[in-house]
Amino acid sequence: MNNLRMALTVYRKEIVDALRDRRTLLTVLISSVLMGPAVLVAISSLVATFESRAELREVYVVGIEHAPSLKNFFERQTYTVKPAPADFETQLRKAKLADPVVVIPKDFEAALLRGDAPVVEVVVDSANQRSQAGAGRIERLLGGFGRERAALTLALRGVSVDLLEPLQIEDRDLASTQTRATQITGMLPYFVMMAVLYGALNAALDTTAGERERGSLEPLLMNPLDRWVLVLGKWAAVASVGMLIAVLSSLSFLPGQWVLRSDTLAAMFQYGLREASMFLVVLLPFAAAVSAVLMAVAIRCKSFKEAQASATVVMLAASLLPLINVFSLGSESPWYLWVPALAQNVLMTHVLKGETLGAAQVGVPLAVCVALTALGVWFVARTLRSAAVR
Amino acid sequence: MIAIEHLAKRFSASGVAKKGLGGGLARLGRGSALRIVHAVRDVSFEAPDGCITGLLGPNGAGKTTTLRMLAGLITPDAGRMSVDGIDVVAQPGAALARMGVLSDARGLYPRLTARENIVYYGRLQGMPADAANARAEQLAQMFEMNALLDRRTDGFSQGERMKTALARALVHDPANIVLDEPTNGLDVLATRALRDSLRWLRSPEGGAKCIVFSTHIMQEVERLCDGVVVVSHGRTVACGTVGDLLAQTGEADFEEAFVRLAFSSDERAHHEVAGPFAGAA
Repeated sequence: MNNLRMALTVYRKEIVDALRDRRTLLTVLISSVLMGPAVLVAISSLVATFESRAELREVYVVGIEHAPSLKNFFERQTYTVKPAPADFETQLRKAKLADPVVVIPKDFEAALLRGDAPVVEVVVDSANQRSQAGAGRIERLLGGFGRERAALTLALRGVSVDLLEPLQIEDRDLASTQTRATQITGMLPYFVMMAVLYGALNAALDTTAGERERGSLEPLLMNPLDRWVLVLGKWAAVASVGMLIAVLSSLSFLPGQWVLRSDTLAAMFQYGLREASMFLVVLLPFAAAVSAVLMAVAIRCKSFKEAQASATVVMLAASLLPLINVFSLGSESPWYLWVPALAQNVLMTHVLKGETLGAAQVGVPLAVCVALTALGVWFVARTLRSAAVR
Repeated sequence: MIAIEHLAKRFSASGVAKKGLGGGLARLGRGSALRIVHAVRDVSFEAPDGCITGLLGPNGAGKTTTLRMLAGLITPDAGRMSVDGIDVVAQPGAALARMGVLSDARGLYPRLTARENIVYYGRLQGMPADAANARAEQLAQMFEMNALLDRRTDGFSQGERMKTALARALVHDPANIVLDEPTNGLDVLATRALRDSLRWLRSPEGGAKCIVFSTHIMQEVERLCDGVVVVSHGRTVACGTVGDLLAQTGEADFEEAFVRLAFSSDERAHHEVAGPFAGAA
């Protein structure tokens, strides 16, 4: 009982101390809370550009005057034919032009009549993502023209058009709309985790290495309370800051959804209170574990600066591990759930796909986080006394 | 009352600066050549209540290590320490509750006010919030720092920091007060104010506290201390009042007496050969 009261005293002091560090706190809060909506806006405006390009139904052509039949076909498909600018190649390279350009040879009509198969170029720059995205659409359009010509020629000779298509090909996509959306929204869990990490970082370093650097750790330990009570109070405060960031950044996607500019994406990206609370189920233990680990790393360091350098290892690991999930392209191994940071990324991706998390899926990372927390707190409590005097 | 008997502590120090993994590897590479440092070999003294006991010694004599052991930060290899009869090693919590320690490191929390700094320690000593707050005001009165009380300690001067740290150490009104080089970095006026405070704490109306303070400054000891413990090379080399020590060495000047007690004749000869500045210590 007395220990609990002591731990609470330490906790309260650390929280007050952390909250008074206004500038740091504000930077972390603003970046974590605004990041969700910002990422969503960026993605949605990108998707919206693609959509609006497709909706415009424009085709940029060089030398359309050589191909009246093609022009006629384009117009029947309700496309607007636009003359490409003279320096279209440069513009494509510099990504000023967002559409592929069709280049028609001079003898197009004559070659077509002779059956010589004239060469029509679709010019794109594969480094220019937007022109690349439109290329498929234009190629399908030109293919349609080719099929129409072929069908007409065959029909004139009394051959059935069906001969041209001995098979029928139909796509059947098993992915739900949400699953497809994760191709685009897949990086959101990553951003949320980074926010939690950076939120806990400053508090964790300040309460350990910072306390050593200020020379306040030695007098602190001259109070008659158990070291583990002291460390528990400190850890709880750091974890609270990390959890606060986790809550704020998870909730920030709720209003973030309203600003989605693309209707398609808004339909695909289903993020409600259910998803937000699932995120928190995953993130809160992670915040607790990260706080303990960062404190354990920092307690050995004499100064805040040295601790920052040492913490880089933790930060790097936590930012690289989720990439395993990104690079494995969706095929998960069971051991992913045992790796901190990676497990959280995997689970949050599942949530975004609209799946429910099973007890085992949540349980394994939770157990890992609890173990890490216990280990970190134990290590800090063990090291505290020798750290104070050295 | 604080009693220390035959205290000893040695550290194993490596030649390489220990810095995380890199230092560890460097140590492995060099083959672990550990150096044993005897910080404290044999220190004994007794500090009675109502007295100011000075722990006098040159730099590196083992004063800070001794006081850190007394505060329970380092476990001694040998010897016994007791505070009002409570063994420090066996019951560190109970011993710390009876001691107010102003250590070598006296860092404050810069984002908290002086009052919050003091009250925090009061709470950690188990005091109720009201009592801690009342005591903070009482101490502020005593150290003439009322105006500072509700300012954040961020921009405090050395003297202001020192006062806050001292008030923080005394918040639970301990019967025993341990101060490690308290006048370091203080100007004349602040030093005099501190001396007056300590004299008052020693007096019956101030609580007849047992005060131990370490220093390497002769004048401090001459002006303030009832008893002197001279520590050199980790050992207690002399004990007594200033008069006793003068009589023991047959010197008229306390500084001369101290040098004679603390340094061997070889060391004294070496300092004199080394030049006038080296001998000024």
